[in-house]
Amino acid sequence: MPITNRIADFHADLTAWRQDLHEHPELAFEEHRTSGIVAQKLAEFGIEVHRGLAGTGVVGTLKGSQPGDRAIALRADMDALPMQEANGFAHASKHAGKMHACGHDGHTTMLLGAARYLAETRNFAGTVHFVFQPAEESGGGGEVMVRDGLFEKFPVDEVYGMHNSPGMPVGEFGGRAGPMMAATDEFDITVTGRGGHAAQPHKAIDPVVIAAQIVTALQTITSRTADPIDSLVVSVTQFHAGSAYNVIADAAVLRGTVRSFDPPLRIEAEAALRRISAGIAEAMGGKAEIVWTKGYPSTRNHAAQLDKALAVATKVAGPRNVHADVPPVMGGEDFAYMLEAKPGAYIVIGAGPSGGGRNLHQVHYDFNDEILPLGASYWAQLVETVLAKD
Amino acid sequence: MPIVNRIADFHPDLTEWRRDLHAHPELGYEEHRTSGIVAQKLAEFGIEVHRGLGKTGVVGTLKGNHPGDRAIAIRADMDALPMSEANDFAHASRNPGKMHACGHDGHTTMLLGAARYLAETKNFAGTVHFVFQPAEEGGAGGEAMVKDGLFEKFPADEVYGMHNMPGLPFGAIAGRVGAMMAATDRVDIHVRGKGGHAAQPHKTVDPVVIGAQIVTALQTIASRTADPIDSLVISITEFHAGSAYNVIADEAVLRGTIRTFDPGLRKTAEQSIRAIAGGIAAAMGGSAEITYYTGYPAARNHADQLGKALAVAADLVGADKVIGDVEPTMGGEDFAYMLEAKPGAYVLIGTGPEIEGGKLHQVNYDFDDELLPIGASYWAQLVETLLAR
Repeated sequence: MPITNRIADFHADLTAWRQDLHEHPELAFEEHRTSGIVAQKLAEFGIEVHRGLAGTGVVGTLKGSQPGDRAIALRADMDALPMQEANGFAHASKHAGKMHACGHDGHTTMLLGAARYLAETRNFAGTVHFVFQPAEESGGGGEVMVRDGLFEKFPVDEVYGMHNSPGMPVGEFGGRAGPMMAATDEFDITVTGRGGHAAQPHKAIDPVVIAAQIVTALQTITSRTADPIDSLVVSVTQFHAGSAYNVIADAAVLRGTVRSFDPPLRIEAEAALRRISAGIAEAMGGKAEIVWTKGYPSTRNHAAQLDKALAVATKVAGPRNVHADVPPVMGGEDFAYMLEAKPGAYIVIGAGPSGGGRNLHQVHYDFNDEILPLGASYWAQLVETVLAKD
Repeated sequence: MPIVNRIADFHPDLTEWRRDLHAHPELGYEEHRTSGIVAQKLAEFGIEVHRGLGKTGVVGTLKGNHPGDRAIAIRADMDALPMSEANDFAHASRNPGKMHACGHDGHTTMLLGAARYLAETKNFAGTVHFVFQPAEEGGAGGEAMVKDGLFEKFPADEVYGMHNMPGLPFGAIAGRVGAMMAATDRVDIHVRGKGGHAAQPHKTVDPVVIGAQIVTALQTIASRTADPIDSLVISITEFHAGSAYNVIADEAVLRGTIRTFDPGLRKTAEQSIRAIAGGIAAAMGGSAEITYYTGYPAARNHADQLGKALAVAADLVGADKVIGDVEPTMGGEDFAYMLEAKPGAYVLIGTGPEIEGGKLHQVNYDFDDELLPIGASYWAQLVETLLAR
C-alpha cells in the first residue's frame, strides 16, 4: 500500500493550495487568511468545522462510515516566520518580512489533502479531528489550543504530528520512542552587588566576580547534578557588566537557555540554577534575582503510538525507508503540549536536499511539493489503520 | 611663620586668576589659553619662560639673589576633565563638556602666586624651576615632559608636587614616606572561543565559561601570588559577551584595572594575568589575546624630601595640622614620573569636609579660593627653606 491513488490523482490541487499558502504567509496568531481557507475547504469536503480555539485555530471533525467510540487527532501548524524570503519563483512570499520558511504551508496542505480523501471515502470507524494550530514558531499556539479546551471539546484517544525534514531523502520517514525535541527554557539572572571605584574593591561588592563564580558553578548542573544518562544543556549566552575600566558596576546580567528532555530533570535544573545563583550571590554579599521563563516542554513520543505511526509509514514508504531511531535534537517544538495531554507520536518526513540555504528557517527554503501526496497518504492511512473498521 | 603677608595682600588677584581659569577649562594637551596665561604672567613677573615641553607645558626659571649650585623644581598641573559642570555661579565653565573638577585651576594659581612673590623677593640661593604640566588626567603629561628632557634642560636636585584633597581638614598638609598613590595599569582580555547554537554546546568553545573561569582565577593573584604585606588590586570591571538567548558567542571581552605600589609586584601581576588568562583559555580549547596598558607608576615619596616638605608645612599651618602618615590610596597620579626621575615629595592640602557632589571629579566641585594663599605660601617658603641663603 504505497501512496493512496486517489490522493495522487489530486496532487496538482495540493500543489496549487500549498503554493498559494506559501505566497501569503501570516505570522503567529495572525493566520486569518490561512485559517479562513482551511475552514472553507473543510466545509467544502463536508467536514464539520470549529473555529476560534487559540484565536485562529481550526478543528475539523469527521466521522467514519462505521460507528465507533474511538477518536484520534491529527495536527498541522499554519504560521510563517518573520523573515524576508530570498526566492525569486512565482509563488514567493508577497508579504514583506514574512516567509513560510519552516514548511507549515506544506504541513497544512498535507492535512487538508488527507481530509479531502477521508471525507470522500470515510473508510474508518469512529472519529478523526483535523487540528490546524496557530503560532508554532512562537507563542505556543499548541499550548493555547490545549488550554482553550481542545481535548475537552474534541475528546481523543491519541494525537499525531509530523514535520518535514530537509536533509532526509524524499520518501523516507523517521521517529524515535521517547524524546524527539527538547524542553526549551530561558533565564535572566541579575546579580546585584555594590558599585564603586575600581581602586577601592573593599568598599564595593563586585558583581562581575559573583557572576563569574555563578557561570562556573552552573556548569556543575550538567556535570554533577544530572544523571549522566540524561541530556541537559545549560548555556549562559550573555554576560553584561560595566562600562569603564575604573568603575566597579552595581550589577551584572547573565542570560541563557536550558534544554532538557526529562521532565523531572527540567524541574531539577531550574531549582539548581536558582539555588546556585542565589546562594553564591548571597555568600559573596550580593544578591541574585532570577527570572525563569518556561518555554516548550520536551516533545516525547509514546512507544505504542510511535509503533503504529511507523508501521503506517512503512506501508507508505517501504521498510528500508523508515527510521525508528533518529537522534533527538535539543531544539523545541510546541506539539509537545499535545503529547503531554494525550498519547501520540511526532514523526519527520524526508524533504530532500538542504544545501544552499534551503534548510529550515533559511531564506531559500521552500517546501518540497513532491512529498505532498506522501504526507497526505500517511495521514489517510494512519486514520484507516488506527481507526480500522471491524 | 604663617601665611606670607605679601601673598595675602594679593589674594584677590589670585582668586580672580583662579576663577578665570575655572571658567575656561581645557583638556589634556589642549591647554593653549591656560599655558598662554601662565607664560604671560611668568614673563610679567620677570621670570625666564620656556614653552613646548610636553606640547603645552611651561617652565619658568628664576634665580635667587644669592648665587648657588642647587636647584629645585616645583610642579602644578593645568588640565581639566571631560565633564559637564553642574555649578551655576558666575565663574562656572564656559566650555561645554569640560570642567575643572580636580582643582588644577587652583594648583596652577597657587604656583603662579608663589612665582610672583619669589620673583619680587628672590630671597633664596640657587635656582627654582616652576613646572606647569599638561595632561595629568590620563594623558601622562608629566611623563611627556620628562621624556622631552625636562630634567636635562632644567637640572634639578629635587622635585615637589601638591594636590588639594577634600576630606582632609581645611589647611592641613599631609603626606607619607613611600607610596602615596598607586601604579595604574589597564588590561583588555579578548577570549576567543567558537560560537554556535546554545543547544549544541559540544560543537562550540564557550567564551563565557572561559571568561568566567578567568575572572575567578584572577582573584588568586591578590590572594595567593602577592606578598600579603603588599597592596594589590585587580578589578575586572567589564565583561561583555553575547546578544541572544540561544546563541553562544564567538568571543567575550574582559576589561579591568590593576593597581599596585611595589614595582616588582606590578610586574608579577602582569605576568600572572597573562599566564592565567592565556593558560585557562588554552586549557579550555580557546585562546586569550591580552593587551596590557602600562599606566602611571606608583607615586613614591622620598623620605628626606618629605621630611623637609612637612617641616615647611608645620611652620606654615602648625604641627597639629600636619599629617605625616596619611593613608596611601590606590588612585593614580602622573607626578609619579617626576618622582621616578628625581628625589622629591608630593603632599596633599586639605579643603575641609567632603560634600557629596563636591568631591574631586564630581559635577559640583569647585576649588576653594581660601586655600590659594596657604598653598602659595607653602611653595614660597619651601623654596626659601630648601634654597636658604
